[in-house]
Amino acid sequence: MHLSKVSIVNYRNFSNAKFLFSKGINTIIGENGSGKTNLFRAIRLLLDDSIRRSAMRLEEKDFFRGLSDWRGHWIIISLEFDEVSQDEAIQALFLHGAGNIETGTVNRATYNLIFRPKMSVRNDLSQLTLGDTTGLNHILDSLSIDDYETVITGKSSADFNNPLVYNALVGDFETVLFPSEIDESEIGARVPLILSMPREVSFTFVQALRDVVSEFHNNRTNPLLTLLKSKSGEINQAEFSPIVDQVTDLNTAIDELSDVTTVRDDIKDTINDAVGDAYSPQSLSIKSDLPDEAEQLFQSLKLFIAEADDGYEGAIHEMSLGGANLIYLTLKLLEFKYQRNNQSIANFLLIEEPEAHIHTHIQKSLFDKINYSNTQVIYSTHSSHISEASNVESINILGKVGGKYQAFQPTTGLTPSQIGCVQRYLDAVRSNLLFAKSVVLVEGDAEEILIPTLIKKVLGISLDELGISLVNIRSTGFENVALLFHEERIRKKCSIITDLDTTFFDTADVVGDTDAVKNAKKKALGSEASGLARKTALDIFCNDNSWLNPFYAPHTFEVDLIAVGNQDKFVSVLKDVYTDIATIATSTTELKSGDISVFGKRALTMATHSGKGWFAIILAKIVDHNTVIPEYILDAIIFAHGSFSDEVVFKILSYRLLKIIEDSDKQQTIVNDTLLQEEQWYTDWNIYLESRRGSISAFKLSLQAFQEGLLDINLLKDAMRTNFQNDVINPILERI
Amino acid sequence: MFMWNDGDLNDEQVAAIEEEKSVFLVACPGSGKTRTLTYKIARELSKLETEKKWVLAITYTNRAANEIQDRIEAMGVNTDQLWIGTIHSFCLEWIIKPYGIYHEQLKFGYRIINSHDTELIQTNLCASCPPPRVTHFDCNHFFDSTGLQISCADYRRGNVESVLREYHSLIKQNRQVDFEHILWYSYELIIQKPSISKLLSKIFSYVLVDEYQDTKEIQYHILAAVMKAGRGKVKAFVVGDPNQAIFTSLGGYAITVEELSRLTEIELRSMELSSNYRSSQRIINYFSHFKVNDSRIQSHANHKLYSSLISHDVQTSRDDLIDEIARLIRLNIEDYGFSPNEVCVVGPWWIHLATLTRGLVGALPEYSFDGPGLTPFVRDTENFWYKLARIVLTKPSPQMYVRRLRWSKEVISYLSDAGIDVSKLSTKEFLREANQIKIEEQDGLVYLQLFFDELFEKLSIVYDDFQVLQEHRDAFFQSSQARINRIRSEGVDFAGDIETFHRAFEGRKGVTVSSIHGVKGAEFDAVIAFAMLEDIVPHFSDPDPRDSAKKLLYVIGSRARKNLHLISEQGRNQAHPTKELSELRFDYSNLLAAD
Repeated sequence: MHLSKVSIVNYRNFSNAKFLFSKGINTIIGENGSGKTNLFRAIRLLLDDSIRRSAMRLEEKDFFRGLSDWRGHWIIISLEFDEVSQDEAIQALFLHGAGNIETGTVNRATYNLIFRPKMSVRNDLSQLTLGDTTGLNHILDSLSIDDYETVITGKSSADFNNPLVYNALVGDFETVLFPSEIDESEIGARVPLILSMPREVSFTFVQALRDVVSEFHNNRTNPLLTLLKSKSGEINQAEFSPIVDQVTDLNTAIDELSDVTTVRDDIKDTINDAVGDAYSPQSLSIKSDLPDEAEQLFQSLKLFIAEADDGYEGAIHEMSLGGANLIYLTLKLLEFKYQRNNQSIANFLLIEEPEAHIHTHIQKSLFDKINYSNTQVIYSTHSSHISEASNVESINILGKVGGKYQAFQPTTGLTPSQIGCVQRYLDAVRSNLLFAKSVVLVEGDAEEILIPTLIKKVLGISLDELGISLVNIRSTGFENVALLFHEERIRKKCSIITDLDTTFFDTADVVGDTDAVKNAKKKALGSEASGLARKTALDIFCNDNSWLNPFYAPHTFEVDLIAVGNQDKFVSVLKDVYTDIATIATSTTELKSGDISVFGKRALTMATHSGKGWFAIILAKIVDHNTVIPEYILDAIIFAHGSFSDEVVFKILSYRLLKIIEDSDKQQTIVNDTLLQEEQWYTDWNIYLESRRGSISAFKLSLQAFQEGLLDINLLKDAMRTNFQNDVINPILERI
Repeated sequence: MFMWNDGDLNDEQVAAIEEEKSVFLVACPGSGKTRTLTYKIARELSKLETEKKWVLAITYTNRAANEIQDRIEAMGVNTDQLWIGTIHSFCLEWIIKPYGIYHEQLKFGYRIINSHDTELIQTNLCASCPPPRVTHFDCNHFFDSTGLQISCADYRRGNVESVLREYHSLIKQNRQVDFEHILWYSYELIIQKPSISKLLSKIFSYVLVDEYQDTKEIQYHILAAVMKAGRGKVKAFVVGDPNQAIFTSLGGYAITVEELSRLTEIELRSMELSSNYRSSQRIINYFSHFKVNDSRIQSHANHKLYSSLISHDVQTSRDDLIDEIARLIRLNIEDYGFSPNEVCVVGPWWIHLATLTRGLVGALPEYSFDGPGLTPFVRDTENFWYKLARIVLTKPSPQMYVRRLRWSKEVISYLSDAGIDVSKLSTKEFLREANQIKIEEQDGLVYLQLFFDELFEKLSIVYDDFQVLQEHRDAFFQSSQARINRIRSEGVDFAGDIETFHRAFEGRKGVTVSSIHGVKGAEFDAVIAFAMLEDIVPHFSDPDPRDSAKKLLYVIGSRARKNLHLISEQGRNQAHPTKELSELRFDYSNLLAAD
């Protein structure tokens, strides 16, 4: 038996989330604050024996914060179990309370926590007439958390993740339609008192710890004590009684120490002196109080470990942080093993961010080995090292869609062979594909190197800051990876950038063409044809998928980079590519020709000459804020990122202003340092720079006004355009 | 494993308890049937190897269940994994509550109603019926595996059928479930959803049934489904006495071991308890004349040779009945030295026993009486407020602690089922709150009302919001008020006093007055039975009058340890003594009428 689904409605940061789990190891991937801990808390409420039962009584703050008002709403936490068998006696009690027998055989079971208004409130709501908003508000306004009840049900049939089902059960707050009675087979029957899941399963939760040492110091949380305690119950009395005798002897010996008796007598005398006989205590003694009970005695046991080979055994607080964490995790695992020996119907091990416990290099091997039989392990992580150790089919990804956190299962609806491809890709490439907020897929080194630089230099913001991961799929084929992004799977935006490879020179046969020319033309035509075919296939692949969009470089990345106006950049790296002066001169002319058939050929020749990757690195050096970003790249970034927040635009504009100031300062310095020019030259420049400085001050004021809330972002964009008409950011601003 | 001391049990009892196979045990009266059952349960409980298995024991009354559980606990055996109770409680707890969501009639919620509610609804429906006149008494019915069975077989049947039709559609509409429907719906569920019996068979390692002779066909089917699903893993221990099957009019019958084997598909070993520890040989000889099924009975009583008084009086007239019974009571107490607690007066259940009790109270003011006419409320164990009243009306004491704790547990789980959040309420806390309430009030019903209100206020539960509690409350107070009014109208002024309420839970005190069906399982030094008349014993509508008469006489006779007095009084509409009595040649004792 294993946990197969967790549905959460209106709990903490989840409005409505569905998690799917499989046997064995499962991974939850999500950024900080995406709700990994809340998911674990939800599961623990229903299964963890170490959580106080009173915790099931939820509180106001447990309601999804996105609800305009929690009053009247329900919180539902529903666990679904799979591979249960009505033939196994050990599971019978569980299935009696939770098993869904609708179909005649039991193959799944549900166990739900429902936190809802008490029956009297639900009755009142059901009696409202359709559309009676005033009546509704009247009831809701008077509700407090004391009007709520927790019910634990089993055998539910409803799909709580379906908003229509929620409306039917809870009611419709818009139209004021609340059910007067509900089919209880939907929410399930109350679980009989004799069934308490935390007692039936063994469950261990290892929380993410940043301070293991204090955990060891606290008697309640010290995992060593928990282990010893579980053993102290079954201690062998024959073995233990001599120890008790020794403790008693020891206590007496300490009591009789001459120093101790002296102190005692002195205390007595002092009291007598101070208050006199009448008010002094009758007797007074100092006693050694070493415990003689196993449990208490065990509390004095401590763990000592030698980390290095010098043989020195130190206490936990002397250990390295990683070492201490490893010990902590080990003890928790042992605690789990002890538990598992009990007659439990299922075993669960939840580990929160194991990367907080252990070093990267141990992570993978640990999770390869932690595979206990008949145990379901669920861990949350934001380490790509750990996520690799698990199967892509047992991963849940937490992500934000429309302001709400949801869980995605990356392989829903994929064929086994598709899943195999994805799995092998993820195994081979340590990729942060699954961790990104959004993704841009490219298939060449040049794009992988240059696109991040272009964005960072022009916008002043890195792709990371925009939450975009740029992934080079090399020659894997976009489809094999891009299929992860889908309404049913990962609901995150994914842009695909690829070359259309349209020919940029006349490919018509001309009399007198050399064989080489003929070949080149033929090859170009071939590329064009296959580019077109690729586009057709990719368009079909992305069609009807709002999470996926292809973007095409009209020709080839390098060619289109010049085409949008970056020829000077290419010219400035010529000397890094060629050494021959004549070649450099020819190339300069060609690059500046403005004729794509000429600069295009040169650009490709340069790239081929250096190697595409190396050429990209050379180019990256000279990419600056005045570089023009090709349209299709911008489109891809904007699609992946979605709309840019005002704060981000403000950041970009502040950055642009900084660069404009630097440029204008530089120009001023050049003008100042340049000698022997005509008077007019200086006059023109100084007039220009003067007006520039005027624009700068004006725009500074605009930025300030925006910050103070006096100017909205569109007016700020206008101010940019008015003050700096030719800045490369202006066309971009129109788009974001 | 649980062991007993030498001398606790006889060989037959030990054999039944130690038998590893399933057992079908025919036990003669006074043979220590309950004792055997109790030891068997204790033994099986101690043999459980896992915490996931339970022992299921079905008793005829909740009182019997409580007694057995108390005894097992007193033996030091943990009863956490014992579920013991009536078949109705079992169906409710283990079938209706967990699986009701799979029944069309139950899945939108339901409320259990009690016999008082049923009576009220049926009385209303009867009132609007055209002639011939019918009352709720005529509406006796039960379900068997084929559906509704109506007892009425005479000219009124047409009316009864239509009343029941309306009654059933009415309670369905109100989502109410009466006792008969608890069984019927459970049966439907267990037939339609085979998983239920399969799962239950995995939970219960043993199914023990007490008083099988009074078990209904549909109940056999429900229990047999569980046993059958166990494919031999669920063992059965079925105990009873076919000679005492006196609930046939309600559908009860003594199944044969062959039929039960066929139903359950398990091998049952027939065994017997034939040693009677209760009655003198003379008493045994007497009631043995009324055997329907042949079985051995041997007296092993200490007073085996006691020269029992056995009388049959056909002279006394109806008007002198109370005086004659009073005389016999005096005779047994004063001349034979029996304790008043050990004397019992029994009559058929459709005779107004309350009137008789009150007559005796008047005739024998120096003795106290314990009879159905004196309890100011109906002992309806499925009624929430009755459950609560048990706690309210008993005093906290170490002896009562465990029992009251169990009752609180029942109350809390009932509240939880009703949809009240009891997560913050523990049984101990509940008892503590209840024990702290002090009410100064003489009127019993007012006392209870005040007490309930204060208790619920302390627990901050508004019970008005819960229809089922509201309905139960109305039923409890209305039926109690009606009862008190009736008792008062017959001159017993103290009927509604709080002392009378308290006394209802103080265990048996004084001379018992009971119906024949009500003395099931009990025993007394002296038993005085009246109205032993044809058409009363047996009832005129009984389809099998001769067998029924014998069984009733058998039950009455076998209650007595020493003396037995039967009266076939004159002057009733039914003029003839029960045929079996008038035909019997027996050397009755010569009882001189008191002068």
